[in-house]
Amino acid sequence: MYKGPSIQIENITQRYKSAQEDSLSNVTLQINEGDVYGLLGPNGAGKTTLISILCGIIPPSYGNVNYYIGGKKIDEQERRSLLGFVPQEYAFYQELTPKQNLDYFGAMYNLSRAELSVRIDELLEELGLTKVANKEVSTFSGGMKRRVNLAIGLIHNPVILFLDEPTVGVDVQSKNAIIKYLEEINRTGTTIVYTSHHMSEAEEFCNRIALIDHGKVVAEGGMSELLEKNSASSLQDLFIKLTGEEYRD
Amino acid sequence: MFKVFSSIRKEFLLLVSDKVGLALMFVMPLLLVFIITIIQDSAYKIVNENEIPMLVVNHDEGSGGEKLLNLLSNSRLFKIDTFNSLPESALKKELLARGKMIALFIPPNFTSGLESNTGEISHMMMRDMGLETDSSDVNTEKMPVLSFYHDPVLQENYSASVRGVVDSYLGMIEKTMMIERIYADMDIASKSITLSEKMASNRVKINQIVATNSNSVAVPNSTQHNVPAWTIFAMFFMVVSLGSNIVKERINGSFLRLKTMPTSFMLVMLSKMAVYVVVAILQVALTFSIGVWILPKIGLPELTIPTNFPAFATVVLISSLAAVSYALLIGSWAKTQEQANGFGAISIIIFGAIGGILVPAFVMPEYMQFASKFSPLHWCLEGFYILFLKGGSWHELRSVVLFLGVFILICQLCTYIKLRIEKII
Repeated sequence: MYKGPSIQIENITQRYKSAQEDSLSNVTLQINEGDVYGLLGPNGAGKTTLISILCGIIPPSYGNVNYYIGGKKIDEQERRSLLGFVPQEYAFYQELTPKQNLDYFGAMYNLSRAELSVRIDELLEELGLTKVANKEVSTFSGGMKRRVNLAIGLIHNPVILFLDEPTVGVDVQSKNAIIKYLEEINRTGTTIVYTSHHMSEAEEFCNRIALIDHGKVVAEGGMSELLEKNSASSLQDLFIKLTGEEYRD
Repeated sequence: MFKVFSSIRKEFLLLVSDKVGLALMFVMPLLLVFIITIIQDSAYKIVNENEIPMLVVNHDEGSGGEKLLNLLSNSRLFKIDTFNSLPESALKKELLARGKMIALFIPPNFTSGLESNTGEISHMMMRDMGLETDSSDVNTEKMPVLSFYHDPVLQENYSASVRGVVDSYLGMIEKTMMIERIYADMDIASKSITLSEKMASNRVKINQIVATNSNSVAVPNSTQHNVPAWTIFAMFFMVVSLGSNIVKERINGSFLRLKTMPTSFMLVMLSKMAVYVVVAILQVALTFSIGVWILPKIGLPELTIPTNFPAFATVVLISSLAAVSYALLIGSWAKTQEQANGFGAISIIIFGAIGGILVPAFVMPEYMQFASKFSPLHWCLEGFYILFLKGGSWHELRSVVLFLGVFILICQLCTYIKLRIEKII
């Protein structure tokens, strides 16, 4: 089974037009197939910028990102079909039902009517949304909305999944359901790239992490390797050691 | 194909979920058409219909007042209501109380004053011609003064034209009396009838021709102004629904999410445009149906559908596209839904006011008529006017298509620039 690179990030630098400093500076990372890769860092560290570049939302000022499936480099069009993105915002239509949302976004991923019908039922069941499948999303709790947001990113069975704070602001039940489901799809081969502020969740969920601060990678590697190397008792301890205790706005 | 269908279906579902937007787009124009047409109908009738309501108080002791009254009645320009027992001092009050726009007071000395004047002129004429006359019956009485009362809301040019009509009838009476008097003084009174008839029939006639490109001689009425005007207004009011819909999608990240998918953003925008163009066409169908079938049933003028159907379809389509493009522009540049709704709605009201939707542009001062040319609503309305009132030739519609075409291009270009700035496309 291929366990080589899925995403290769080479010297990515990003500077916004009006900014004084780089949002990302010479970031070089390799994310392997089957990884659950955590992009961690304080507020304003550059995590969302990096994930936006990886998903193709914004082009980097400098540097390259290459994607591979089974060791074969894929092009832009393939990447769009094989990649899933779950943004931090509820990026869907709250006036519509979960089914209508999944139907629309699924069609945008070029799924056929027949494929969608099966996949929508499957996802709604897996994420506990079957009972509310035909209710307007605007009436849902935060946790339910997060699950709808996740379902949309998973509708086309992505090979690589990007998650930007997928569990922010949800109750323990929803959080567990989301993490459990993500672990399940990772077992079936989906590479996951994930950002979070929940250190304990990240520690449990990720097998590799990159700690980013001020747009630079300050630590990268396997979870246990990093903890051992930095004499840290937990990921939170490591995080504070490497990024300091100052407030970040 | 399924992708296109899904995209259009999504836009349709978003549209039907927006109940306020739907009400603004469909109920508002119907209410406005009904209310404003009823309000404006009487004003349009004053301008368009031949019978102007006029109150006449005839205190004349001779036959001249009655002759004037007959001439005014037979002209079919006025609907005369007489109230001869009314004193002049009470006329103002009565005019306002009866809801008349115009009143005419004929004084007691109307005939005697005219007779005195004609007698004097006839005497002078006979004397100048060296003929003998009897000057014993020439009284020097002052020329009578008629009083013309009008409602203060009546426009000056309108009251002047009514005074002109009364003046011309007075002239006819004076001329007839003059001929009769001269002939009487010359002892050939029996021949005066032939001459006065000849003079009356030999007047220069004015041939009135309505300038249209077809045989249609449609005259503007309240329905023909209000039905297209408020339909256009409602079309542009889709800025509240479509504009805020776009802001929402920009802000909540749906647009950015779509950017990560194997789909073209053009599909998203074209689906929106397609759905809202259909909405605009439905608005036209609905309000025009009201104009054709419902308004006549409540005593309002019927809307006559233009006969040049391809030209009609072009005006509807280009007006719809202009409205949709403006909504896209507002939706792409507004930072919040509140901004899109507020600015969108207010800008449409301003465009509507200067564009001749509320009050037809031809009654505006010259500089406002110039300003109206910068309102897209003006050009849409102009397109409908050309269809309704001028037969709707392609040649006449050229400027409408040109202006609206440029407007659409500018809106689309500005939308594209903003979405590029936000890296959505």
